[in-house]
Amino acid sequence: MRLLKSVRRSWPYLLMTIPALVLFFYFHTWPALHGIFLSFTNWNGFGPYHFIGLKNYVDLFHDHQVLHAYGFTFLFAFVTTVLVNVVSLLIALALNARIKLPNTFKAIFFLPYVLSTLIVSFIFNYLFSNVIPDVATQLHLTALSQNLLGTRWAWVGIVIVSVWQGAAFNTLLYLAGLQTIPDDVYEASSIDGASPWMTFWRITLPLIAPFLTINMVLAAKNYLQVFDQVVGMTNGGPGTATQSVSFVIYTNGLGGGELSYQSANAVVFLIVLVIVALAQVRLMQGREVQL
Amino acid sequence: MKKLSLAAGSALVLAAAVTGCGSSGTSNTSNTGGSTGTVSLNFLQNKPEVVDQWNQLIKAFEKQNPNIKIKQINPPNTDTTLQSDLAKGQMPDIVAMGADATFIQMAKNGVFKDLSNAPELDKVSPVYLKMLEQEVGKDTPYALPYTVNAVPIIYNVDLFNKYHLKVPKTWDELMNEAKQIQAAGGTPFYNGFKDAWTLAPIWNALAANTEGSSFIQDLKAGKTTFAKSDLTAAKSMQEFVKYGQSNQFGVDYNDANVGFAKGKSVFYAQGIWTLPVIRQANPNIKLSTFVVPATNDPSKLKMVSGVDSLLTVTNSGNTAKEQAAMKFIDFLLEKKNAAQYANAAGLFSTVNGVKNSDEALKPLQPYIDQGKVVDFDDHYYPPAMAAGNQYESVLQGALSKKQSVQQLLQQLDSLYQQSASHQ
Repeated sequence: MRLLKSVRRSWPYLLMTIPALVLFFYFHTWPALHGIFLSFTNWNGFGPYHFIGLKNYVDLFHDHQVLHAYGFTFLFAFVTTVLVNVVSLLIALALNARIKLPNTFKAIFFLPYVLSTLIVSFIFNYLFSNVIPDVATQLHLTALSQNLLGTRWAWVGIVIVSVWQGAAFNTLLYLAGLQTIPDDVYEASSIDGASPWMTFWRITLPLIAPFLTINMVLAAKNYLQVFDQVVGMTNGGPGTATQSVSFVIYTNGLGGGELSYQSANAVVFLIVLVIVALAQVRLMQGREVQL
Repeated sequence: MKKLSLAAGSALVLAAAVTGCGSSGTSNTSNTGGSTGTVSLNFLQNKPEVVDQWNQLIKAFEKQNPNIKIKQINPPNTDTTLQSDLAKGQMPDIVAMGADATFIQMAKNGVFKDLSNAPELDKVSPVYLKMLEQEVGKDTPYALPYTVNAVPIIYNVDLFNKYHLKVPKTWDELMNEAKQIQAAGGTPFYNGFKDAWTLAPIWNALAANTEGSSFIQDLKAGKTTFAKSDLTAAKSMQEFVKYGQSNQFGVDYNDANVGFAKGKSVFYAQGIWTLPVIRQANPNIKLSTFVVPATNDPSKLKMVSGVDSLLTVTNSGNTAKEQAAMKFIDFLLEKKNAAQYANAAGLFSTVNGVKNSDEALKPLQPYIDQGKVVDFDDHYYPPAMAAGNQYESVLQGALSKKQSVQQLLQQLDSLYQQSASHQ
């Protein structure tokens, strides 16, 4: 009786959630489970297949291309995450200071985030291959007269684009964080004679630590899954230098007839991502303080 | 009342979500039988640059056959589209595509109709029919070759005359001419090697001519390796890269086409499919071609030429559809139509007696007519090695880093091992 009553009371909520749940399950959970299932087979996308146990997983650890992709992805994600957070924190501090036209500047700095990553990548691809070499040749800077994306520094090009675009979102979060700090804390520190540097390290940073955590976790997760930038700028080249894990999963899995093998790679990558995120949260939460 | 409409609304959403995937399939088959007797066919083709030409041919065909309707599909990524179409059970009825790994896999798995007894087989070049059968690995024709491409060296006639060059017959002659051009301050080759696949044409020409005709079988049987058989090709490749422009690994395919069109180099090592693009960038350019002189023995030289578009019919189990599809193929194989399409696409036709009218392609026609052609090597590499620019990336990486020939070939071998083990 009571159960019936509670169902009757909550049925509007159930109606609201169940469609979303069904859609989510059908388009997200089910394909994911299907992928995990496929990773234990040798299916190449069509035709018959057999179960081959853990062979795909074992092979992954001997695959130079896959291992290299993990290496590139981690290097890229680490550098980009650090740079994005430094840059966006600086922008947020500047925007939070007493400046003229604060909203205009906020809009300007947020603009890159509104653009599609692929379009940004294509634009930068053009800049790197045509504009920058031309300008560098005019200025007799031989080091930059080559297309950066065709050299072994191609990954730096991808980092630049990712930071340029990605910093906007993190800036927004930091800005929100900075606005949660009450003025009286700053007042107290200035009365005590703290330098701006000291104020930043002892007051601002600890008080926005929760935002630092979330920004680091989000950025790391985003950049570990780097894909669009690679497709738009280098297509994994030169050679295999800028092939990220997602890129390898996509190109080899869907185009190269390695559907099940790359499904196994995707499963491993999922586990890696979860471990990284958990480790980050553990490490950083210890440093957070409450007012 | 309000509650009721809410419930109905969400039930609708649910129903749509559940049936959404299947519904388009059923509507597709229902309009084929039709009371009027019209058959509608889906025709997928993979070349975005010839959409208009196909539409013209389709229009002409529909005029002759008013009860057959053909819809052209030209997806941006044919291979992925076909694979998902197959998974959904919604294959297009006729497919015009390259003889790539997706085609081979699908033909092997019985997706396409067996054309063994089709009278159309006699209308096309037997050399290329055999090539398709070899690629699939069965003695059954699952497709008809329609147009074929070729990999020559394209040259800018004005610049060629400016340096007083003559058509080289051997690899050494070509390299000497390149040296001569470089010494005079010119650029012999303009390369778009930022796109890894652009290394494929010249690599295929060199490899197919020097590695021996049984290389692929021996490789599969474990009797040879890239390191053993492709040493000459790799060395020639290394030599070739010396004569490219200084930023050849930073220029992509499109920019390379434009660069060559604007007279930045004398030669351009690309397939004949680039000719229309080059002319678009510079309508006044005078172009000609010669077969890549991959060896130092001109008598053994073969031109790399693969099937650019094949025509194939899907096994749909619907006889009316399959007959209509064959009717369309018969129409396409008529000399007039085959010539119209091949000239528009800038390719050679496989239909007996049809020649390309482009002056620039004249030097290559005898090789096609006499069957002195060899297929692209990479059509026989394992799919995981050929798809997604895998082996081209190895070439690109090794050549841009100036690694040794041995290092390059070792990487190809390990890529081969890796790819072969996941098929």
